[in-house]
Amino acid sequence: MTCRDALDRLPLYLYGELPPQEEEDLEAHLHACASCQGEYAAYRQISQALDRVRAEPEPFSASQCRRELMARIRSEHAAGRPGWREWLRRSLQPLAKPAGALAMLAAGFVAGYWTPEWARNGDGPAGEPVLAAIRSVRTDDAGGVSISLDETRRRTVRGDLRDRRIAQLLMAAVRDQADPGLRVESIDILRRQPESAEIRQALLWALEHDPNPGVRLKAIEGLKPMAGDAEVRKTLMRALQHDNNAGVRVLAIDLLVQHRDDQVAAVLQGLVGREDNQYVRMRCKNALEEMSASVGAF
Amino acid sequence: MGAKLAPRLDEHELIRAVQHGDQDAFEALVRSYDQTVLGLAMNLLRSPEDARDVYQEAFLRVYKNIHSFRFDCSFHTWLYRIVTNLCFDYLRKRKIRKEEPAVVETGDGPLDRTYAVEEERPAGDPERRYQNHQLSQRIGRALEDLTPRERMVFELRHYQGMRLRTIGEILGTSEEAAKNCLFRATQKMRAVLGEFV
Repeated sequence: MTCRDALDRLPLYLYGELPPQEEEDLEAHLHACASCQGEYAAYRQISQALDRVRAEPEPFSASQCRRELMARIRSEHAAGRPGWREWLRRSLQPLAKPAGALAMLAAGFVAGYWTPEWARNGDGPAGEPVLAAIRSVRTDDAGGVSISLDETRRRTVRGDLRDRRIAQLLMAAVRDQADPGLRVESIDILRRQPESAEIRQALLWALEHDPNPGVRLKAIEGLKPMAGDAEVRKTLMRALQHDNNAGVRVLAIDLLVQHRDDQVAAVLQGLVGREDNQYVRMRCKNALEEMSASVGAF
Repeated sequence: MGAKLAPRLDEHELIRAVQHGDQDAFEALVRSYDQTVLGLAMNLLRSPEDARDVYQEAFLRVYKNIHSFRFDCSFHTWLYRIVTNLCFDYLRKRKIRKEEPAVVETGDGPLDRTYAVEEERPAGDPERRYQNHQLSQRIGRALEDLTPRERMVFELRHYQGMRLRTIGEILGTSEEAAKNCLFRATQKMRAVLGEFV
């Protein structure tokens, strides 16, 4: 085997993927050739360096993902399964048609009357009304049927973030517990207008209360331009001390150290002693050093 | 022999139960694979958010399509095929956007990959610290420079320890094609990182 042949085989040899005979020939060559031995050592060093940047999820991440997955599946299943209301609706459909048309007309009138002006100015066409639930069914002596029902309607509203109706809808979406993806996207848009007090409140709420760490991370990113605000700093300090996600805690440190603050130094000093996560602990120490504060708490 | 077959039979029964609509069986099936799936997605995408999205999407696809699973390959291979397909999409999109998340989730929490090697340095050696910093940056760039398929094969072989035959099955390609990808990926790494070792 020549050195050229040996060098061509080293990548696969490293991973034990050479056929047995080629492996044997290569090992014989390596035994006799210092230059190829050096090259093999270089491959091994690279492999070890790559091992050191291996990404591992935290143990609790998988169980959290599983809980979210199962909640989503159960809710989709519940939404898709015909329940007793659906059964009732189907059974009464032939009877309910005239009454339903009347009810929808009435509901449309009521909805139109009560819906705020901004929500009625949607640019997109309104979808067909969808029956959400039947509340009650009554018959009268003349054989008529009265059905009380709720309905929902899908529509598209367009505008930019300066449009108050758009901002309000996005802030409502931030609190929609059904879909974390929707919350992340909404926060991503809202953060473009950091000067709004309402938007800041929505981001603070998400950081403190959202069950999904991805949403909380997005909220904290959105709070970056407001890191000097006293209320924002208080919430960041609470997140640093109580959030169960290490990524959120690290971002909280990043934002807090942008402004010198004795209270932050005290929180960081306290965390150095009790923080479980090695990386967060290291970031706390680094932050204290940057602030020229003592690492220990007194 | 019996001990080896027992878990496979359990999994077979679990899958059958899921196919009959048993959600508890599905949760048990997810539980037995969730750490692996999340780890694979984390390693391939190096972004906790993207990894979680892939996890959700992958298991939802499993749930919605498990009735069509006919046991003509292992469930493990079928699941990995779904996960790697989803990760492919992310990598391709990212390649177009030329983005690569710098922060990765490690066993010790999120870690900026730029400093991943640096952490292991002996403290107070500025020259070594500088070299390690450079090496970490080079590793990040070397991974970015691989094609999505090379990246996939490299990650499955290097980090997941899979054999090339299995990787070929998962990616719907031949063992030989997977071998060529691994060869090219390893050589590229050697070329980019060679001066640091």
